Amino acid sequence: MDTPILSLLIFIPIVGAVVVYLLGRLRERLCEVASLTLTVVVLALSLYLYSSIFTSNQGASFTFIEGPYHWLGGFGVDYYLGVDGLSASLILISAFLSVLVVLGSWDLITEKKPIYYFLILLFEGSIIGVFCSLNLILFYVFWEIVLIPMFFFIGVWGGPRRKYAAMKFLIFTYVGSVIMLLGFILIYLFTAPNTFNIPELVGKIPFWVQLLATVATFVGFGVKLPVVPFHTWLPDAHVEAPAPISVFLAGLLLKMGGYGFIRVNLGLLADASRQYAWVFIIFGILTMFYGALVAMIQRDLKRMIALTSINHMGFVLLGSFAGISASTAQGAIYGISGAIFQMFNHAAAIGILFMLSGYIHEQAGTRNIDELKGLRSGMPKTALTLILGSLAGMSVPMYSSFLSEWMVILSAISVNTWYALAVLIPLLTVAYFLWMIKRTVLSPLPQHTHYHDLPNRAMFALLLYLVPLFLLLVFPSLILGVVDPLSSALFQAVGGGG
Amino acid sequence: MSTVFYYAAIFTVSSMLVSMLSLSRSSSVRQSIPFFVSLAALLLSLTLTLFKMLNYLSAPSPIYTNLFHEDFLAYFFALTVLLVSLFVVLSSRNYMWGERNLAVYFSLLLFSTLGMVLLSFAADLLMIVVAWELMSIPTYVLAGLRKSDPFSNEASVKYFLLGAFSSGILLYAISLTYGLTGTTNLNAVLQNLQQLPNPLDPIAILMLALYIAGFGLKMSVVPFHMWIPDAYEGAPTTISAFLSAGTKKAGFVVAIRVFVVALPFLSVNWTTAFAILALATMTLGNIAALTQRSVSRMLAYSSIAQAGYLLIGFAVASGPAKTLGLIGVLFHVFNHAVMQSAAFLAVAAVDRAIGKVGLDSFASLWRRMPITALSLAVALLALAGIPPLNGFWSKLVLFTAAIQGDMAWLAVAAVLNSALSLGYYAWVIKRMYIDEPTGLGAQSKIREPTLISAVLLIATAITIVVGIYPSLIYDLAKAAVLAYQ
Repeated sequence: MDTPILSLLIFIPIVGAVVVYLLGRLRERLCEVASLTLTVVVLALSLYLYSSIFTSNQGASFTFIEGPYHWLGGFGVDYYLGVDGLSASLILISAFLSVLVVLGSWDLITEKKPIYYFLILLFEGSIIGVFCSLNLILFYVFWEIVLIPMFFFIGVWGGPRRKYAAMKFLIFTYVGSVIMLLGFILIYLFTAPNTFNIPELVGKIPFWVQLLATVATFVGFGVKLPVVPFHTWLPDAHVEAPAPISVFLAGLLLKMGGYGFIRVNLGLLADASRQYAWVFIIFGILTMFYGALVAMIQRDLKRMIALTSINHMGFVLLGSFAGISASTAQGAIYGISGAIFQMFNHAAAIGILFMLSGYIHEQAGTRNIDELKGLRSGMPKTALTLILGSLAGMSVPMYSSFLSEWMVILSAISVNTWYALAVLIPLLTVAYFLWMIKRTVLSPLPQHTHYHDLPNRAMFALLLYLVPLFLLLVFPSLILGVVDPLSSALFQAVGGGG
Repeated sequence: MSTVFYYAAIFTVSSMLVSMLSLSRSSSVRQSIPFFVSLAALLLSLTLTLFKMLNYLSAPSPIYTNLFHEDFLAYFFALTVLLVSLFVVLSSRNYMWGERNLAVYFSLLLFSTLGMVLLSFAADLLMIVVAWELMSIPTYVLAGLRKSDPFSNEASVKYFLLGAFSSGILLYAISLTYGLTGTTNLNAVLQNLQQLPNPLDPIAILMLALYIAGFGLKMSVVPFHMWIPDAYEGAPTTISAFLSAGTKKAGFVVAIRVFVVALPFLSVNWTTAFAILALATMTLGNIAALTQRSVSRMLAYSSIAQAGYLLIGFAVASGPAKTLGLIGVLFHVFNHAVMQSAAFLAVAAVDRAIGKVGLDSFASLWRRMPITALSLAVALLALAGIPPLNGFWSKLVLFTAAIQGDMAWLAVAAVLNSALSLGYYAWVIKRMYIDEPTGLGAQSKIREPTLISAVLLIATAITIVVGIYPSLIYDLAKAAVLAYQ
């Protein structure tokens, strides 16, 4: 590779962040425009990256490789980047969401703008770094840098209980990360080539190391995803975070967990994952039920959406581990590709819902579902967008989120018929979304209530989230073409399919 | 001529000169000249150290005499302690401005620095005692420099009593060593101990225990840590930085010389002891730090906890992870010296500018003192081990050494401790960046002390640069350890 395109993707935002901050000190408007420009540039680059992988059909192997360059010599820590189908699709969604988050922040963030956009770009750069690191320590470094902007986002721009939520977020995720780091060290020490480089480790890790490392990474990735016993930071963080940051949290930060499970557990710790897939699958189903049931009783619209996010991410866990333990290649592809597809869809669907809850809170002064009444006549454009967004959350067959959940459930059933229990989840999800719409949109407008409707520009920005969902329903191969080869490669690596 | 001689000459001449300046009648001479002389002495010796290190790297030429080992390990520690002294002297210009006895202050600081440098080179138990006292005695006075402040007095008395106690214990240990081996030269001790008929000789075990206790008091190892929080809180804050980032490190270099070099034959006895002490030290330090309501006390306990991480390197020093463990110790010693002095000096800046260091002074500090707040935040994150800052890398090396040395339980404990420590580090950061200002006039911007800010910026730059390019120090530490074996 002549142009180090991955390094550019990481360092354009990170270096640009400083520039944006300095511009913002001159004039606040400048930093908004500059960060939009930078995120659009990154989006264009990542589209180029994605399309070149898509057209050359190289989803299964790492391309655009940079390095390994020695970083901490003699210690296995290298600067080593590369992308496959999984990374490329997640990088694309990161770049896409960053543009929308910057757009959404123009209206909703009013104070300390320079430092805010500085942190947004730092976040974007480091999360892209997470998705394309091929060295476990480099991965860990980016993984941890992501925490710092998020801590400040919640703590500085958050709601009334922001301090509590920020500390809780930081401590939960940090504890998870350091335990994960122990797993990485274990892999490094007890594998024949002492290295942290992912491609060199594939298939070389002894089984007992895999088992121990799986326990460690389960905690690390499980906190981020989140898997149910480790999820309690999420509703607090989401409720307190400003709406654009909730989009980052749900749309990207949670994906780090899903990415970790697929890259490390399915890629490196494959034998242990295949043997003990049922543990993960049970945790996944538990997570989905928990998210759906607890979302049902929420009064706060945003908390309900946050729990929907837990519910949706359960599909990722279920899909990836059902896929790795499937008996046929078809089942594996359905499961793993479905999980990756689900991450993509969830990011877009949850994005519009969180932004909407932010707008509704700003216009109506409350997010309490019982107090929001008569949106249909009070704020018709908002109501329409809310219904369109909720349909995406419900995964009805007018969006691609339907496809991904269907693929995951199909794969789960192919592994064990009992996992058909997961079919109940979309049902529950539809139930609580419809109930929410009945109470907010379809109820009569109380007297003396006057709402301001969404401005057209904001509505346009919101509907942008739905574009990929429509598009991928019609052309799912745009994503699946890149991730299917990867899924079958992962499956063949554990000796499945024959 | 031997390098140690140059150090001794530079520091003795300059500190004599400085102490004579205290007799001057002109207050401007008493206030300013001592600072510039100390600065010159430190810069000169730092240059000398760097020059020697570069020479050594191109052509390794260790010089072993009976009293001193001039090897890379010694230069590495000398560099670290000189850097800390430089930070402290620069900051003292702001922090101690207008106080009485400034000339005495700087001259004692120089003497103590000389003690630390000599300790880095010392290879004979008697030389170690002399250097140890040269390092310690001035700091007893420095801790109590504010004669009218009862806290400063308490700090000084407590520190002095325990310090004298530790010197006594150390001397006792040395006399036992002499009794067992008939020599005080570390290499000869090594040879003679190998002929000891029974490695579990009760006298040898008593000797080890006494060494651990004697060094442990300086290294802030639990249960010899009691004096630390009071001393660090009561002493002038620059001196707290000096004690925690400087003299403590000197404790570690002697411990390496004595345990790893002279007593490896008895390692079965001391490695387990160090593993248990490491666990106790980091756990107690972190838990106690969580409950503190004063930032300097919190930093004191954090410094204890960091000593616990360093002890991991000793705990694995007899097994296959010896090299990695020692590299980790050296690397973390350097990083900790930078992070900890930055943290304490930021507190000193707050103390100087706001006049008190209660937690309220830190609320919304970023509005009032942006440089100080940023440096303190970076230092605390580095202490917690967040990448890509320097503290992460040395902790990574130490934890890896623990797992490699068959002490996975210690690595798990250290990792959990590391997670625990973020609880109080992040709490200060939350205080500075998220909490609303409290009290009247707490919104107004304050002029930050210039030199302290400069030092903080340098320390922050080192923290970040070493974090992004860890090989810079890691390779030096590796060279120091490899040259040693």
